[in-house]
Amino acid sequence: MTCEELRGEYGAWALGIADEPERSEIAAHLARECPECTAGVRSAMVTAAALSGAVTEGNPPRRLRRRIVSMVERKPKRSFAWLPWAVSAALAIALVSIAIPGRRDTQALLTQQQDMTKLKQALSILNDPAARDVTFGDPAALGRVFVSSTGVVLIAAHLPKIQDNQTFELWLLPGSGDPKPAGTFRGETISNSSSAVYVYQGSTATAVAVAVTVEPEGGSPQPTTTPFIVSKL
Amino acid sequence: MIFPGLILALELSGQHDEDLAGRLQRREPDAMKDLYDRFGKLAYSVVLAIVRDASIAEDLVQETFLRVWNRIQAFEPGRGALGPWLVAIARNRAIDHVRSSSSKMDRNAFELDVREHPALFVDMQREVENTDHARIIRAAIKKLNPNQQKVIELAYYEGLSQTEMAERMGQPRGTIKTWVRAALGVLREELGQAAAA
Repeated sequence: MTCEELRGEYGAWALGIADEPERSEIAAHLARECPECTAGVRSAMVTAAALSGAVTEGNPPRRLRRRIVSMVERKPKRSFAWLPWAVSAALAIALVSIAIPGRRDTQALLTQQQDMTKLKQALSILNDPAARDVTFGDPAALGRVFVSSTGVVLIAAHLPKIQDNQTFELWLLPGSGDPKPAGTFRGETISNSSSAVYVYQGSTATAVAVAVTVEPEGGSPQPTTTPFIVSKL
Repeated sequence: MIFPGLILALELSGQHDEDLAGRLQRREPDAMKDLYDRFGKLAYSVVLAIVRDASIAEDLVQETFLRVWNRIQAFEPGRGALGPWLVAIARNRAIDHVRSSSSKMDRNAFELDVREHPALFVDMQREVENTDHARIIRAAIKKLNPNQQKVIELAYYEGLSQTEMAERMGQPRGTIKTWVRAALGVLREELGQAAAA
């Protein structure tokens, strides 16, 4: 199409509402730096931009600024050297078990798929440039928690011993209101130390801290014991 | 409905864009703080008005700022208008989200990429600075007839194509196009007169 045929659609294109074929045609003219269409669309962009002044004012939460600034802050390169060797070993075992050929039985395949899914979920959260990470450590447990907007990866060692009818439960603590349950998990005992790598997928938008408690098997809707891990984000 | 603070942010942008864009290009982390302080509320307000979900709006605004950070090298500090560019990216993210949620995702990435190119936002502040945009845009919108106001609303907040507006409003596509052109013409004229005054 010619520039003259497209001229009447510059405004619609600037707003993103032009129909085909004009939409693609204008994009193509701009891509090849057509001077007439570029000037016309630039002018139309002024009008489109001005419409933002008619928008109702919203108040972004303060954490949004932190999230955005943290994306580009220079941080020391994440190193996993700090990981207790037991947790590293647990991860290695999980990865090896995924890779072992010949494990054909259904349960093993299911476990491998679950491990792989868990690994992908964890990597997705760890690779989020906006993910916050907090190290925690006290006599009860030590480790690190990574929190993105879409989930949590908790890596912990020296977990307390629990009974067979008990479980660990992760909680997202909002600024106000009740803790939000974020799933249960159990540790793996390696060399007399209980460790865990737990991945929670879900929104963390309101969380200002995460916590872990010991709960009856199956978990609780609200904590019934004092948290042995509390990490402020 | 009017948002004077937002417009003020856009007007002020012309005075500081060059410096701020240069700092962003040099990867100064504090530049991102200043960028957010200047345009964060504006971007959030635009996105929230479209997606109507605070949590989703946060994610999309974060994505917007990351996109600006990643594409800032293509920005011409002496000529570009940082605020309008950022707001356009924010609005595109929001419209894309709404449309993908309603299975109307038909814009290709190429077109979106072209529409967000910084080259389309150069020399903009010459036309917009030193004018009372809040008053102007309010006055301009009031001059639109109800049908024109409706198509601008459907365009800005829902990103409906003119064909989709025709279906929604039960009008021929040609009529919708006429309303859109007339509405944008009035807005453009009012903005132009104000800039010339």
